[in-house]
Amino acid sequence: MIKANKIEKTYSKTAILTPVLNDITLSIQKGEYVAIMGTSGSGKSTLMYILGCLDKPTKGELELDGVDVYGMDDDALSALRNKKIGFVFQQFFLLERTTALDNVLLPLIYANKYPDDALQRGRKVLAQVGLEDRVEYLANELSGGQQQRVAIARALINDPDVIFADEPTGNLDSQSTAEILDILGHLHQEGRTIIIVTHDRTVANHAQRILELKDGRIAEIKNP
Amino acid sequence: MTRTIRIARESVRMMGRNKFRVFIMMLGIAVGVASLTLMMCVSKGAYERVMDTVNRQGPDLLQIRPGTDIQTGLPSGSREVVSLIEEDVSAILQHVGNIRAAAPVKDRKEIEVIYEDKFTLTRIFGVIPVWAQIRDFGPREGEFISEEDISFAARMCLIGQTVKKNLFGDLEPIGRTIRINNVPFTIKGELQWKGISSAGRDRDNRIVIPITTYTRRLFRDMHLTQIVITVEDTKKLNKTIKDVRTVLRDQHKITSGEPDDFAMRTPQDLIDLAYGTSRSLINLLTGIAAVSLLVAGIVIMNVMLASIAARKSEIGIRRAVGARKNDILKQFLIEGLIVSLFGGLMGMFLGMGGSVILSSLDVTASKITPLAIAAAILTCGLIAVVFGIFPAKKAANQNPIDTLKV
Ligand SMILES: Nc1ncnc2c1ncn2[C@@H]1O[C@H](COP(=O)(O)OP(=O)(O)O)[C@@H](O)[C@H]1O
Ligand SMILES: [Mg+2]
Repeated sequence: MIKANKIEKTYSKTAILTPVLNDITLSIQKGEYVAIMGTSGSGKSTLMYILGCLDKPTKGELELDGVDVYGMDDDALSALRNKKIGFVFQQFFLLERTTALDNVLLPLIYANKYPDDALQRGRKVLAQVGLEDRVEYLANELSGGQQQRVAIARALINDPDVIFADEPTGNLDSQSTAEILDILGHLHQEGRTIIIVTHDRTVANHAQRILELKDGRIAEIKNP
Repeated sequence: MTRTIRIARESVRMMGRNKFRVFIMMLGIAVGVASLTLMMCVSKGAYERVMDTVNRQGPDLLQIRPGTDIQTGLPSGSREVVSLIEEDVSAILQHVGNIRAAAPVKDRKEIEVIYEDKFTLTRIFGVIPVWAQIRDFGPREGEFISEEDISFAARMCLIGQTVKKNLFGDLEPIGRTIRINNVPFTIKGELQWKGISSAGRDRDNRIVIPITTYTRRLFRDMHLTQIVITVEDTKKLNKTIKDVRTVLRDQHKITSGEPDDFAMRTPQDLIDLAYGTSRSLINLLTGIAAVSLLVAGIVIMNVMLASIAARKSEIGIRRAVGARKNDILKQFLIEGLIVSLFGGLMGMFLGMGGSVILSSLDVTASKITPLAIAAAILTCGLIAVVFGIFPAKKAANQNPIDTLKV
């Protein structure tokens, strides 16, 4: 599903070029549930954005579903994200003062063709995350856990191949954390590929496989 | 639904979430467009008034009067100045090219005219036949003054419409006898209706008689109060004006360095005169329009930039779920267009209202024209694009990962 070969990432913000990622080689199969662990600042998000085609590596090869991603232009990457990738973020990133349903439908706006059954699909994914009775609530009227569930529903609307979740429970209490991890577990059981980024061991333990990021490399590959 | 329509709907939706910001931007545009519209209306109104005057007086007409008002450069019309004589007319006709016709004129204001028991005060003009063509002031009824009338100093006259009304009411005046300054004259025609001049004078309150009769039977004035000239080719007007001036200075033996003892009124003078107060108002409004459009543009740009900073994560999330750079650009441009369209409409109606008020208060001539409306709409579209494109580009080109950081 995902193949990364000798990926390097260097931010050229300051004069000193510090490589954040250094020679990352990994491979993730379809249907796998993988956790990427590491301390804060170790480059987990950077890696996830690169794997999710939101950012480009400085060097290296990246293949997604057998397609070489490295050479694609920005529009092609956008289309790819739209069709094949769902993102969930620590800060939820919903549109404020916008209903749960409209938030969930957002990716369809940028789809090649707007589906006729958009509303049904929106309701369906909201039901999948247990929010069938919150469809018309505004994002800011929902609790943190509920907002994150809307974000997961939004990630699901285009029926993506991979879901990337960057510290999805980082802003949640233990109750909501359990709910979110439960949903991700279910999605995995349905056969979706899930990549979760976290610094929290107990969260990472829900995955099938843990990659640990240290000094810009995949330092350790563990099976829990 | 095409992608662009979907994006336009997003623009509208996001605007609905930020009504205050949108209102501020619209207000900025409205003020700019209002002053632009008003400026266009006022200058159109003023222009029409001027062209009306020039066309009525004739774009090929030169008027020469004795004396000069140093201040305005316009004829003083002072009766004490005796400078123009009939020989000047012959000299001009003889020495200056490009002249179609020239006529001497003598006139006096507030002359007593009586018909039976009716009495009025009017202006008497002594003219020659060609005067009617030069001033485009022929008879409406009856005959104009003929060469014979001139030769015989006939006591014949034509009366203006105001005089007709004052002395005759509904009666048919032609053939009747009136007394001008106690001298009997036979009415041989009625003059065309001309209305009020740009100077506010009633051009129909006049009687026209042969210039010879004027001098021999009414007043002993030897000097002229006017020479009127029409030129052949208006493109050569400036040269003709210069030549006429040279000939007259020569005739009057004015040495170089001395001022003219006559003044010419040209079509350009008429334009200047008619523009009058409007011109400074137009300049003021143009200034205001330019400044306020600039301010509007800057307001839009800054509000947009601020909103982009505030909407960083919105842009980031759109990019993450598959929006292309171009989609973001479109969203912000459409927002700018809608803001300026509605702001522009608001401003246009404000400006048109201002125009109606200005002209009804008689501050200046002002006219709402399709051109003013088109200019207003075009300008606000332009502002939206020019000042909206930079923030929109900025929004679109942000790296999504930077917009998705805490
Ligand atoms: N846009 C950027 N410009 C420069 N440095 C960056 C940028 N984004 C992240 N970094 C740096 O890269 C490192 C890894 O960041 P990140 O991937 O966010 O770490 P993590 O998600 O593991 O906490 C950090 O040291 C961070 O300061
Ligand atoms: Mg991170």
